Amino acid sequence: MKLPRFEIHRPTSFADASRLLVELGDDAVAVNGGTELLLTMKLGLAVYDHLVDLKRVPELRVLARSGDRLAIGAGMTHREVETSPLVRESFPALAAMLADVANVRVRSVGTLGGNLCFADPHSDPATFLAATDAVVVTGGGGGARRVPVGQFAVGPYETVLESGELLAEIEVPLPGPGTGVSHVRMKTHERPTVTVASRVELSAGVVVAARVAVGSVCSVPVVPDTVSDLIGAAREDWDARVAACAAATADAVDPVEDADGSTAYKRALVEVFVRRGLHRALASAASSGAAGRSTR
Amino acid sequence: MTRLSETPGRVGTAVGLSVERVDARDKLAGKAEFTGDLHPPFMLYGAVLRSPYAHALIEHLDVRGAQDIDGVVAVLTGDDLSDIDPYYGHALRDRPVVAIGKVRFVGEPVAVVAAVTQAIADAALAAIEVSYEPLEVAASVDAALAPGAPLIHEGAVRPGLAHGLGTLPEREGNICYSYGFSRGDTASAFDTAAVVVEGEYRFPAVYQYSMETHTTIAHHRGDDIVVWSSCQHPFLVRQEISELFGLALDRVEVIVPYLGGGFGSKSYTKMEPLTVAMSRKAGRPVRILNRVDESMVTTRRHNMKCRMRTAAGADGELVAREVEMWLDTGAYADNGPRVTATAGDAAPGPYRWRAMDVKAHCVYTTTSPSGSYRAFGSTHVQWIGESQVDEIARRLGLDRLEVRRANLLGRGEEVRPGAKGVDADLVGDIEKVAAAIDWGAPRGPNRGVGVSIGLLAAGAHPVSMATVRLGPDGGVTVLVGTTELGQGARTVMGQIAAEVLGLESSRVRVIGTDTAYTPYDRSTGASRSTTVAGKAVEEAALDVLDALLETAADVLEVDREQLTIGGGAVAGGGRTMSYEQLVQKRFGLAGGELIGHGRVQPRGGSGGFADGPVFWEICVAGAEVEVDTETGVVTVLRTSSVADVGRAINPQLIERQDEGGALQGIGNAMFEEMRFNDDGLLLNDTLLDYRIPSFEDVPASMACTIVENGDGPGPFGAKGCGEGVLAGLPAAIVNALADAGVAMTELPLTPERVWNQIQKQRTVEPKERT
Repeated sequence: MKLPRFEIHRPTSFADASRLLVELGDDAVAVNGGTELLLTMKLGLAVYDHLVDLKRVPELRVLARSGDRLAIGAGMTHREVETSPLVRESFPALAAMLADVANVRVRSVGTLGGNLCFADPHSDPATFLAATDAVVVTGGGGGARRVPVGQFAVGPYETVLESGELLAEIEVPLPGPGTGVSHVRMKTHERPTVTVASRVELSAGVVVAARVAVGSVCSVPVVPDTVSDLIGAAREDWDARVAACAAATADAVDPVEDADGSTAYKRALVEVFVRRGLHRALASAASSGAAGRSTR
Repeated sequence: MTRLSETPGRVGTAVGLSVERVDARDKLAGKAEFTGDLHPPFMLYGAVLRSPYAHALIEHLDVRGAQDIDGVVAVLTGDDLSDIDPYYGHALRDRPVVAIGKVRFVGEPVAVVAAVTQAIADAALAAIEVSYEPLEVAASVDAALAPGAPLIHEGAVRPGLAHGLGTLPEREGNICYSYGFSRGDTASAFDTAAVVVEGEYRFPAVYQYSMETHTTIAHHRGDDIVVWSSCQHPFLVRQEISELFGLALDRVEVIVPYLGGGFGSKSYTKMEPLTVAMSRKAGRPVRILNRVDESMVTTRRHNMKCRMRTAAGADGELVAREVEMWLDTGAYADNGPRVTATAGDAAPGPYRWRAMDVKAHCVYTTTSPSGSYRAFGSTHVQWIGESQVDEIARRLGLDRLEVRRANLLGRGEEVRPGAKGVDADLVGDIEKVAAAIDWGAPRGPNRGVGVSIGLLAAGAHPVSMATVRLGPDGGVTVLVGTTELGQGARTVMGQIAAEVLGLESSRVRVIGTDTAYTPYDRSTGASRSTTVAGKAVEEAALDVLDALLETAADVLEVDREQLTIGGGAVAGGGRTMSYEQLVQKRFGLAGGELIGHGRVQPRGGSGGFADGPVFWEICVAGAEVEVDTETGVVTVLRTSSVADVGRAINPQLIERQDEGGALQGIGNAMFEEMRFNDDGLLLNDTLLDYRIPSFEDVPASMACTIVENGDGPGPFGAKGCGEGVLAGLPAAIVNALADAGVAMTELPLTPERVWNQIQKQRTVEPKERT
């Protein structure tokens, strides 16, 4: 259970970090907090001769608001984002979701970018950000790209990133007036069994936008196109429409059977949690008024 | 509560007080020494090559590649044991020190490397060449008992050194031991019963998780052996090592520093034979420190299949019970036979049966060996029996508590033929746990309450010795073989000696066991230490007191009857002399000490140790739960327990013991489960995948009531505690969940399992109604 030997590189700029990763090729991997990667290496599940430590790359350490978006540097720790007055003020549901990630020791070193790049299918942040239309901005390697979080992971522990390409920033649209965001999950082991994030927008009591992301159930967090029927629903239709959307989502997902449950059980959970999550998001949107408040 | 000050000559200085644990500050500051902190000169580090197969012949084993690595001193294999009888096991001598020709579980040691660093030892394992010829696997009780199942052990049964199981029968297939008893005519009782509840139940394999993994340092020096080990029963380890390696008992020294938890996982002999054998080969001290995944396959709790049926009359009278169970002991017996017998003893439950029939079988499988874990046997069966009592009450429309009140055994009544009668107030105990969860109060939907009560044969074999030394400065040292494994034994032993001598407990020091100096103590387990070893300490302290009073009578020139003690001094005839002065008077100058001896044995001597068990530990608990019927998630809202301890030596330690046991009970009931696949591979051998209880799992309320009826055979009327709640609580939780509408027959109560049962009930129940 000891870490194997490796060489650590500490670039001080984004360009240097990217260049090092290209030079070192497959023997190298980028690391920031290391909370997932080092554990994997200790267990012998991953072997790298070179670690490119991104902690000293200043470009990854931003946290700012620009207009109706938050720009979060990939190197910001969960704890930094969770406790940031800016985030707590402008997107309290995001802060609350991050406050529930792992434990405070992990959150104090683990980074939001690292979480997305590790691409654990059980990631709460990836699920939440996929539902809230967040986009990752990459750079280095072949150039700069903007990729929706919902398309960033392509398989368990696998992302769209190419050699030398680094996740630079996460752009999170802030919930506007009449928007409700929720995050519900069930966790019996270290990682959630199911995690569902929902975002709905109301205009004059009628749903004008709806989106859910389902994590932990499939090989990657997914954003099924099964809640559009909610659009146009007035308050008196919410119960029936939400139930129908939840059932449709349960049918649409492709659960992975594992120690947390069979396919049938996971489908049942998806239905329950999508229903609960949508109701929560709707309630939050209804009570948010023009302030855009949200709960989880 | 009566205090000891009422007893002549005793002033109530220590017993009954929640004094601070003597080890608390050292442990908090990181200063307490555990086996892994020790580094004898020239110590080597061991690494164990473990079998990847559950059942296989070793075709070819070549360790030369490892031996040639710089820093590797020696490599041990089965070939190194040809000059000794290499099989051990305190119950059945069925286990080779290291695999000989065959492996029987995934993780069985096949070879050991000793090297100058741990890293070299670990890396050298890859240089060992080994090939296997896989044999058919039997990774469950069902597979091991199926017709044509592979035979896991060949040859005759060999009793171990401490089996205590009477005459052992021939082995039948893979059944390694069977136990049973019968009374009355069960067939006619079931035929004439108004209601019969029956079912098949399953209990999971569970890991005893202690923070410190098994750790052993051994030094075989040719003519003698020194072992430092995280073991609960040093004297039994000494006996097995002595027998295995052919040295006299007094040439084997076992030293036990602090243990970071045990819970039974460090009872009897575990990694010691392998470590001694490695040291014998290397000629230097060797340490083997298990990783968590290695400790998980070193010992575990038996999983079990059980069929039970219970019959009752129309008025709720419990009349008969029939039980047959099969406990999976894994590849080697370890403590399986004893666990099996204890489960059998616990199966009837504490009720007045007209007829009962109990059969319990201990079965070999090709999985990791199973042994002791806190409240073994009772934890296995109490939830089954108690859920059947609840179901009877439901079918008859009776209050579940009332049915128990009417059927529970009274004080002195027979539990089973040949055993000690009930030595506690069972009705009083269950009423307390019921009251603590507001029995009978209205509840919200999907909520339920449950209570349970059972008996656990406690005390093991009652042999303990102790020595108490009063030094020339008036300080007291206690030598007793009880292992401090976190339960607070050193604190309690100190309190007992202090009480007898009228001292504050801070004047008493209790030191760790070194079998070369510490008097014999059979074991630390079965809730026996306070009762049995504590009694020996009390007697040893009384022996010192006797010598003190004799000296004082002489020096003060008064009759002994006129002397009183207090504050570390003896007073009489208008004068007072401190213990320090008395010791100096007796021996002159500043030397000498008074030494007292205490002894507890099954027959003769003082204390009620003649009939087994030493005492019945009462396993009683209550719980309130809530179930989310859409997800199957069960939340334990609150728990209650009674620690029926006779006399509380240290009330705070008792409460902490009960809370720890309750949390382990929640783990056992709710989520802990070692999952073996059909190939015998343990699928969840990390603490990420095998979840243990954490503070997130602590219920909003846990109420522990201490009952002091002065009815224990230990010092001051005390009896042991700390295990009962682990058997009582899973049963109370299962009953509470059934009360909320979901009747379960398999543990743990994982959300999926509960959800499946809810789906099943939904499809079955409408049919039953038509």
